[in-house]
Amino acid sequence: MAVFEIQDLTFTYPDREVPALDHIDLKVEPGEMISLCGRSGCGKTTLLKNLKTVLAPYGEKTGSIKFFGRELSQVDEREQASRIGYVFQNPDNQIVTDMVWHELAFGPENLGWDTDTIRMRVAEMAAFFGIQNWFGKRTDELSGGEKQILNLASVMVMQPDILILDEPTAQLDPIAAGEFFDTAKKVNSEIGTTVIISEHRLESLLPLSHRTVVMDRGKKIIDDSPANAAALLAKENHHMFTAMPTPLQAYSLLYEKGIGCQLQCPVDVGSGRRWLTELAKTQWGEEIKCDSVPIPEQTGDTEWDKSAEKEPIIDIKDLWFRYGRSEPDVIKGLSMKIYPREIFTILGGNGAGKSTTLSLMAGLQRPYRGKVKIKGKKPEDHGEKLFRGLLGVLPQDPQSVFVSDTVRGELEEMLDDKDLSREAKEEELMRIAKVVEIDSILDFHPYDISGGEQQRVALAKVLLMDPEIILLDEPTKGMDNFFKEELARILRGLTDRGKTLVLVSHDIEFCAKYGSRCAMFFDGSVTTVNTPRKFFSGNRFYTTAANKMSAHIFKDAITAGDIYDLVMENIQE
Amino acid sequence: MDKDSFGTYHPIICFGYFCAVIILSMIYLHPALLLFSFFGSLFYGIYLGEKKAAKFFCCLPLPVILISMVMNPLFNHRGATILFYFRDNPVTMEAMIYGLVSGLMFASVIMWFYCYNHVMTSDKFMYIFGKAAPASSLVFSMVLRFIPRYHRQTKTVSQGQTCMGRGVGNGSFRQKIKHGAAILGIMTTWAFENAIDTADSMKARGYGLKGRSHFSIYKREGRDLAAGIFVAAALAAVIAGGFAGYNTPDYYPVIYIPRAGVPGTINYICYFCLCFLPIGLDIKEDIKWRYLRSRI
Repeated sequence: MAVFEIQDLTFTYPDREVPALDHIDLKVEPGEMISLCGRSGCGKTTLLKNLKTVLAPYGEKTGSIKFFGRELSQVDEREQASRIGYVFQNPDNQIVTDMVWHELAFGPENLGWDTDTIRMRVAEMAAFFGIQNWFGKRTDELSGGEKQILNLASVMVMQPDILILDEPTAQLDPIAAGEFFDTAKKVNSEIGTTVIISEHRLESLLPLSHRTVVMDRGKKIIDDSPANAAALLAKENHHMFTAMPTPLQAYSLLYEKGIGCQLQCPVDVGSGRRWLTELAKTQWGEEIKCDSVPIPEQTGDTEWDKSAEKEPIIDIKDLWFRYGRSEPDVIKGLSMKIYPREIFTILGGNGAGKSTTLSLMAGLQRPYRGKVKIKGKKPEDHGEKLFRGLLGVLPQDPQSVFVSDTVRGELEEMLDDKDLSREAKEEELMRIAKVVEIDSILDFHPYDISGGEQQRVALAKVLLMDPEIILLDEPTKGMDNFFKEELARILRGLTDRGKTLVLVSHDIEFCAKYGSRCAMFFDGSVTTVNTPRKFFSGNRFYTTAANKMSAHIFKDAITAGDIYDLVMENIQE
Repeated sequence: MDKDSFGTYHPIICFGYFCAVIILSMIYLHPALLLFSFFGSLFYGIYLGEKKAAKFFCCLPLPVILISMVMNPLFNHRGATILFYFRDNPVTMEAMIYGLVSGLMFASVIMWFYCYNHVMTSDKFMYIFGKAAPASSLVFSMVLRFIPRYHRQTKTVSQGQTCMGRGVGNGSFRQKIKHGAAILGIMTTWAFENAIDTADSMKARGYGLKGRSHFSIYKREGRDLAAGIFVAAALAAVIAGGFAGYNTPDYYPVIYIPRAGVPGTINYICYFCLCFLPIGLDIKEDIKWRYLRSRI
C-alpha cells in the first residue's frame, strides 16, 4: 500500500487567484527516496506542508491525500506526529530545548512514552547518527550541520514511516550539506524509511534518489527516474535549465545542436566524464585540436591584468588578528590587494577566517598587527564617512537589517537623513528598486517575500547609500540558480557603474562564473589569487563540476558554457 | 568539572545536600560548627573552581568576614568585656567575636552557593522542578535555548546597522537613541517571526497532545541511596543536637558555649562529616585513581 497517494490535489491560498498547487497526482511507495525539485515559489513547500495536517496552510483545497489508504484528515494527530516526520529549512529555528539529549527526547515526551522506552530510543538514534560525542552538549554549541542532523535525529527517534525534508540544506555550506544528504540516504537505505526531499542543489541530490519529481508553477511536470527526468529537462530546454547540475547543462546545450543525442544523459560528475569521453571519441576521435578556451579580448582575464597597474582600492598588508589575548590567531599574515571595479571573490572552508576578514575591512574588528587601508586610509580614520558613501556591507542574513513593515519603508529609511526633496527621494528609491528588480513588491512585508527577494531588498538598502565598495557575505546562500543568475546580472551592472565588489562565498560555481579574481583562503591567509580560469583549471579537487568532468580532455573549461564552446570548436575544425 | 565525584550523584541528593548545609549554617552560629562549614565549603569550592575559586574567595567572602568583624562592634555596644573606647563608644570583645562569627556564617553561605552553581547545572535544577511543574520546566529550557541565540543575533544586527551607518555609535545623541530603538525593533520582529517556525516544529513533533511524559538522563544508583541515608542521618543528629541546645551559644552579655559532653561531641562530629562530605568523596576518588594508576 502506498505511503501517500495524492489524487488531483488543488490548493489555493486565500485571496489569490492562481492556485499554488494545480491538479497534483503523486504516489509515494514505501522505501522510496524521492527528490522534489523546482524553482523557488513553484509550490514545493505548499505540497509538503499539506502532507501533515498540523502544518497544512489555510486555503481552499480539493482532491484527496491518502496515508496508507486512509484519508489524511481522518488520521489522528498522535499517529501523524510519530509516523510522519518533518524537517524544516532553518536549522536554528526548529530546535526547541537547550540540551541535545532533551531535544532528542522532546518528541517522545509529547507522545507520552515512559522513561525507559525513551532512554532506549534516544540511545539507538544517537548511536545511528553518531551523536553520542555531543550528546551532553548545549544545542547552541553545535555547528549548523550538526544542528540539522540533530533535527533529523529528533524526528527519527519517533520512528516515522516517512520523512519529509523541506530544503533541509539551504542554510548549510556545501560540506555540511553533503554530510546531511549522506545521512538522509543512510536513513533510507539502512532503515528503509521513505524519504521525500525538496531541494534546489540538484547536483548532490539526483544521484542519491530513486525518483525525481519536478514542479513548475504549481504543476507536476516530470515524474521519472533521475536520469530520465534529467534527460527530459535537457531535451525540452526548460527554463529549469539553470537549476540543473553542470553535466546536464552541458548535455542540454549540445543536445540543442543535435550533438550527442544518442548518448545517455549524465547526472553527476562521474557520468558526465564518461559522457564527454564518449562524445569526444564519436565526434573527433583520439586527437584533440583545441584543448583550451581561446581568450578573446573582452573576457575578464586581460582586463584584470591591466587593472593591476592601478592603485588598489583596498590594500591589506601582513594582517594578524585574534578575538582575545589567549585565543588562537584567526588571520595569520594576510596580504592582498583589491582593485577598483572588480568582483573579488574569497573562497575557502568554514572557519578559515573569511567572514572575519570582511569585518576587518569594515573596521568592525581591529587587527593587532598589520594594516588595512581603504583608499589609502585606515577604516577607522574615515570616521562617519566610511559607511556614508565609501563602504557598504551586505550581511549574510538579510533579516538582520529589516526595520520597517513594508519594503518601501525599508528603502525610505535609508534616505531619511539625506538632503533631498521628496520627489528626488522617490525618484532615487524607484531607480534603485528597478536596478535590483524589487519595484513590484514594494508594498509587501519584508518577512513575507522569498529569501532571494529579501537578499535583494537588503542589497537595495546598501545601494541607497551609494557606496564605492560593497562587501557581500555569502550572498548566494539559500538561493536557487535562477536567482543567482539574476544576482550576478545585478552585480555586473554595479561594477559597470564603477563599484568594487568583494564577496565571500562557498559557492564555487558562482565565483567561477562571475568573479573577476578568486582568492583561496586557508588557515588564516590567502594561498592563491588568480583569475577564475587560471585558478580553477589548476585545481583538481577544489574546482567546478565542469572542470572536474572535462579536465582529462580540456585544459581549462570551468563552466558548462566552456565545455560547449570547446566541443563546438573541435567539431568545426 | 568532571573530576568532581559529588556532582555525579543524583540531582536530588545534591540539591538536598546544599539546602541542608546552607540552612544549618544560617541557623547555628556556633564557632566550631561554622569553622567546619566554612572550611568544608572553601576546600570544596577551591577543588571545583581552583584558581578562580581562590580569586572569588578573596574578592567576596574574605572581605565580608573582615568588614563584619570591624563593623559590628562599631554599631553594637552590647557585651560585658570592654576593650577600648572609640569616639566615646565602648568597643566590646563580645561584639567583635559575634561580628567574626556572623561574618564566617555569611562567608560560608556564599561559598556554598558558589559550589552550588558549579554542581547544580540548569538541567539538574530543571529535572528536580520538572516533576512538580512539567510545563514551566519546558518553558525554562526554551528560555535557556533562546537567550544565547537572542544575544548572538543582537550582535549581528547591531554590526549590520553599524555598516548601514546606523549603529548605536553613529550620529548625534538623538540619532543614537533612534538607532538603538531600531535595533530593538528588528530584534522583536525577528523573535516573533522565528518563533512561528519553532511553533511549527513543536506541533510537527506532537506538542500539545494529552499525556506528555517527562524524560531525564539521571538514574538512581545504590550510591545515591547510601549518600542519601548518610546525609539524612547526619542531618537528624545535628538537628537533635540543636534541640538539645548544643549548637546555639550565647554571645551577650558574655560568651557562653554549651559544654559538649558525649552527645554534643557526636553532634559536632556529624556536622563535620556533613560539611566535608563532598570534598571527602572527591579526595577518596582521587586517591583511588592514584592507587589504580600505580598498579598499572
